[in-house]
Amino acid sequence: MLDFILPLLGRLHPLLVHLPIGILIFGILLIFWQKKGSTGFNPVIRLAFLLGAISATLAGISGFFQYQFEGFAWDSIQNHLIAGVIIAIGSFYVFTQIKDGTIFTYKIKLQVSALFLVLTVTGHLGGNISRGEDYLLEVLPAEIQALAGYEAAPEKPLEIPEQGWEELEFYGEVVQPILNQNCKSCHNPRNLKGELNLTNLEEILKGGENGEVLKAGNPELSAIFAKMILPLDDEDHMPPKEKRQPSKEQIELIKTWIAAGASKTSTLGQAGVEEKLLEPFFQKDEIPFYPLTELTALPADTLSKLRKEGFFAEIIIQGSSWLKVSCINFPDFKDSDWALLRSVKGQIAYLDLSATQVTEGILDSIASLPNLTVLKLNQTGISGSQLGTLSTCKNLKLLYLNSTQLSLENLSGINKHPSLQKVFAFQTPAGASENPGKFNFELETGNYSLPKIPADTIVY
Amino acid sequence: MDCVSKVGGLAMAPLLFGCEPGAAKNPIGMNLSARDLNPLSPLPPPFAPKAKSIIYLHMAGAPSQLELFDYKPELIKYDGKPCPESLLEGRQFAFIRGVPNILGPQAKFAQHGQSGAWVSDYLPHFSTVVDEVSFLKAVHTDQFNHGPAQLFMQTGSPRLGRPSIGSWVTYGLGTENQNLPGFVVLTSGGKTPDAGKSIWGSGFLPSVYQGVQCRAKGDPVLYLQDPDGMTRDLKKSVIQAINSSNEESFKEFGDPEILARINQYEMAYRMQIEVPEVMNINDEPTDIQELYGTKPGEESFANNCLLARKLVEKGVRFVQLYDWGWDTHGTSKKESIDSGLRHKCQEIDRPITALLLDLKQRGLLEETLVVWGGEFGRTPMQENREGKVQGWKGRDHHGDAFTMWMAGGGIKKGASYGVTDDFGFAGLEERVSVHDIHASILHLMGFDHEKFTHDFQGRPFRLTDVEGELIRKILA
Repeated sequence: MLDFILPLLGRLHPLLVHLPIGILIFGILLIFWQKKGSTGFNPVIRLAFLLGAISATLAGISGFFQYQFEGFAWDSIQNHLIAGVIIAIGSFYVFTQIKDGTIFTYKIKLQVSALFLVLTVTGHLGGNISRGEDYLLEVLPAEIQALAGYEAAPEKPLEIPEQGWEELEFYGEVVQPILNQNCKSCHNPRNLKGELNLTNLEEILKGGENGEVLKAGNPELSAIFAKMILPLDDEDHMPPKEKRQPSKEQIELIKTWIAAGASKTSTLGQAGVEEKLLEPFFQKDEIPFYPLTELTALPADTLSKLRKEGFFAEIIIQGSSWLKVSCINFPDFKDSDWALLRSVKGQIAYLDLSATQVTEGILDSIASLPNLTVLKLNQTGISGSQLGTLSTCKNLKLLYLNSTQLSLENLSGINKHPSLQKVFAFQTPAGASENPGKFNFELETGNYSLPKIPADTIVY
Repeated sequence: MDCVSKVGGLAMAPLLFGCEPGAAKNPIGMNLSARDLNPLSPLPPPFAPKAKSIIYLHMAGAPSQLELFDYKPELIKYDGKPCPESLLEGRQFAFIRGVPNILGPQAKFAQHGQSGAWVSDYLPHFSTVVDEVSFLKAVHTDQFNHGPAQLFMQTGSPRLGRPSIGSWVTYGLGTENQNLPGFVVLTSGGKTPDAGKSIWGSGFLPSVYQGVQCRAKGDPVLYLQDPDGMTRDLKKSVIQAINSSNEESFKEFGDPEILARINQYEMAYRMQIEVPEVMNINDEPTDIQELYGTKPGEESFANNCLLARKLVEKGVRFVQLYDWGWDTHGTSKKESIDSGLRHKCQEIDRPITALLLDLKQRGLLEETLVVWGGEFGRTPMQENREGKVQGWKGRDHHGDAFTMWMAGGGIKKGASYGVTDDFGFAGLEERVSVHDIHASILHLMGFDHEKFTHDFQGRPFRLTDVEGELIRKILA
């Protein structure tokens, strides 16, 4: 009948813990605040430590019941509980030490300072248990997290090989990694939220405080799937809405696994998983187009300054510092205007100086852009005699020299370039030559034509 | 640069503006973004983009996939025989009634290029560039009438009110050339598409993101040219007067909308020079004109293809071409599979091939996405409007399976995705929805289609609504 009393008391622990913290800190503050030699605050201080001690005891008892009824592991709460007991005893002890006429000595001040320290530690440990050990660290900038030796994503995201995925064990190599990534931080042997442990199949089958969470063959009746597809605002939605949410493919995979019988040993192929579901997890050795170098961030007003000068200037990818600069509305740009770009030398990854007044000499300036990836010099007077200097642009991949005076001889000056993939030389002397020869990069000379064929003119 | 405010010597103008839109100083401590001043100013995409511009070629009326790309030898066997009941059960068609006959492919097919793509003799030039292209052979839509289907294909919804793909893209990215519109629409074929201008409308997005229709004949943009007797200098002083009056209002009310309006006047003034320049194809060399098969002075798809390249080269974000006249029911010679369709194919064959080659030789294909398609496909059955066999060979509207292709920035070369059944009636594998195409287009421009939203009427809206999967197999 009254079975609920003790669990309820346990659940009041988060409320009760704040009483000793507040009251004792109040008492400690008064001890330090009181003028030297004065005893005026003593009755209040005594009362504070008495109430603090009583509430600390109550908090401790309620905490013990929470541990008993809420599925916390002893390992995880051990230190918190011991520290709580120390506070209760310590504050009783201080209470007995203080009489109305007590002058606060160095010794008592040291004792209450120690009590304050234990109070802080206990509170922090308690916070770690309820909110997770990374609760405070999560919000810090990455650099400070690193200082604290904390890695943001301890669980590796799911990766599946593109070839031979049919042979992968569905549960062990797909489902469990998804659970580890999305559920484990709250449902593990140390932190048994809802008395549920999702770290291995045996424990999953045991279920939690609300009974079983996995019904083989029936995803809709399996809480580990069904709770994930509840609306985000539903209070039963899992993971809780403030946590990172699994992708829809991950949810679909769990559904498929349950529907296929939730077997421990069957493979992806046996369960008839569609390749489409797995595509987001295939490892891609995609080489990013723009260099991976870490860049110094652009000053906030850089873009507006460049735009004011007449450049088209834009960040290439949100949050990156890679800069695209084009003279599309700045046809008067000439070699001497290079000074305008000097401050963003390191960030320019895409530079379009087509149809401007630049001459051969501009290549020397361009050579000072370490991260340049795309360079367009179409419709300029350049013949390419200085192209060799671009070898310092170690990331240059695409070079556009259409409608220039580029000669075949000058083109070979850049043949040894380490990263260059493609050169466009349409409407140039180099492009017009019959046999331009072999280069390390792909050379596009264009001049395409379509033959006149009868089908062009037949009247259908 | 020719620019009103700088020249005018107005009290506020040099203070407020450089020549560039969005270069306003901060006169009263307001935190104004470049977008407040100029809604087309560029913004970076959230992810690395594979393409920076799009040319979308829409064949309005819906071309027959069974005569162009989806080769079905099985249909030859059944040609002229009644359609199996299983294909008709519970189905509704736009015009077909009762039991129609099967119509075999009217074109000769062959495999082309290293990819071995099937293309018919209706497109002899295009068959030489198939290795640049990724085919989607099992696209499906749920609309079988032109208007709604075109709306669906271009705005993601068969009903009015949603922004078109081009509007979303210019809304998300702005445009590069500040003297040209960011989203240009060119039409050919004698008529504009059935769905009207809503298919390049901006829906609930600000109207500045709607497509600007440029005409092939006369003024490219209506009302852009000065009327007779209006000199450029006079125009300049008119705009100066308007702008200075607007500046007074801005000083009084501090509303950034007023600054945006001032910028719009500036841009329109600059467009007066640049738009007629870029829309003039006569200055292109003869070999380029011949490559495309242009018809100067006329409204033609070839001209529009050449213009599309010029616009993209000039930094226009989205160029949308509509070619009308692909609705081949067989009700007349012009609307027949064996004559009208061939004629339409002849009109686009050289231009689309030329467009791909020209973009390629200029290196523009590296960063331009080209999309080709109609609003749906056509039936394997011959149309029998009012239960009667038509005088010419024709096919009815059909949305279960049809072919589209994409090429250029971020698209695999020479790929084919999607398999249809032996009748070409429905997709069997690798089916692709209209939303999937939109999701992939946005992906190539650097967006996650699920995160790219605009709040309207109390909820965020996406181009792909609540659907759409990336077509990963055709992404390079």
